[in-house]
Amino acid sequence: MVRRVRSTTGPADADAFAAEALGLLEPLFATALRLTRNRADAEDLVQDTYVKAFRFTDRFERGTNLKAWLYTILHNTWRNRRRDASRDTVEVDSDRVEQAATLADGPAALDTPERILLRDTLDADLQAALDELPAAFREAVWLRDVEEFSYAEIAGMLGVPIGTVMSRISRGRRLLFERLSAAAARPGVEIAGRR
Amino acid sequence: MDECRRTAERVTPYVDGALPPGERREVEQHLQHCPPCARGAQEEQGARTVLRERADRLKAQPLPPGLRSRCEALAHEHSRVQAVRWWRLLVPATAIAVLLIFAGVLIFAVATRRSDTLLAAQLTADHVKCFEVFVPEKGADASEIEEELESKFGWDMHVPPSSSAAGITLLGGRRCLYADGSMPHVMYKAEGAEPVSLFRLEGVTRKAGEVTTLGHHCRIWSRGGNTYVLVLPKETSPGIARLARYVEREAR
Repeated sequence: MVRRVRSTTGPADADAFAAEALGLLEPLFATALRLTRNRADAEDLVQDTYVKAFRFTDRFERGTNLKAWLYTILHNTWRNRRRDASRDTVEVDSDRVEQAATLADGPAALDTPERILLRDTLDADLQAALDELPAAFREAVWLRDVEEFSYAEIAGMLGVPIGTVMSRISRGRRLLFERLSAAAARPGVEIAGRR
Repeated sequence: MDECRRTAERVTPYVDGALPPGERREVEQHLQHCPPCARGAQEEQGARTVLRERADRLKAQPLPPGLRSRCEALAHEHSRVQAVRWWRLLVPATAIAVLLIFAGVLIFAVATRRSDTLLAAQLTADHVKCFEVFVPEKGADASEIEEELESKFGWDMHVPPSSSAAGITLLGGRRCLYADGSMPHVMYKAEGAEPVSLFRLEGVTRKAGEVTTLGHHCRIWSRGGNTYVLVLPKETSPGIARLARYVEREAR
């Protein structure tokens, strides 16, 4: 009945784990900011994530992806908070939501969409456009295109199937494109030193 | 239109360069003669490019003052605790052997002794811990969970599936930390989203009982040479009672 004792991590391992985890503070905060859309909540979220990460360090398998593990805790914590705050479930994954969220006026005929967006999009516009996306799309697009996690990792973090991840990324990207195009096409005063 | 739908399902990995060559060619062929789909792919590509270009700047948010030092303090506390744990194990080998045997006996004894309270407390603590760190959100498929428990850990268990009649949704199954990972732990949520856990102790039989501990309510029963423990929220309602009866009926 006596089982082999799990190999214990010594103090050096604990320090290495802590150092690596702390090294992810900035991207974790940036992600939390996109999730919560306000700095105070993002700060709380990140702190809670580290509290749990250090408390449940045993649950992390050394050698696997620490960043994905931390991000999973971050997203789980965020989901629990949102659920406690409001019991409304918003269904994002049906077609109806996409139609409703599309801009009423289609974008002007754009020949080279990428070039125009790259040239004309202000950082502030980009952040604002991201924040306007429905949460589910925003999370998926951020995790894929900014943090470069795999579909499978994102599926684990968001607690949805891989097909749903791809569909949310697709819709998120397209919605983002439309908002950015509208912002870029806005007639406006020439701002000195744009970019 | 079917082709358009099939393409839509693959356009994201296509844009990401993640499609195998055969599928990639198929998508490209469709895009060549379908302007709406081509437009969609372009839009995705455009958004993706901007995000990737600006990714570093998007991630470089200034941290609120004090956040870093607070998180570093958490890290120091963690290292200190780990150091203490580690040093405690630097004891003579005979003492380790005694400790191991004692731990083994204790675990076995807990499982087989009359003390339901100790068993319930251990599993309730694990239930709370697991739901804090790892919570699947969507419902899972019972046969997939059974398959996973069998192939990964060799447990042959019938996992009660989600049931709207009983007000229970299956979330997932995993290996329980308690007793060094020798137990299946199946995670559910009740209608009001309360977490519910089902554990199974292999090869152990005991009298049925109920225990309230650590803010939760546990029901313990045996069937087919195994003992089951169901961890429920403390407040019993008709819904929870119905859920419990369902699990007791179905688990085997």
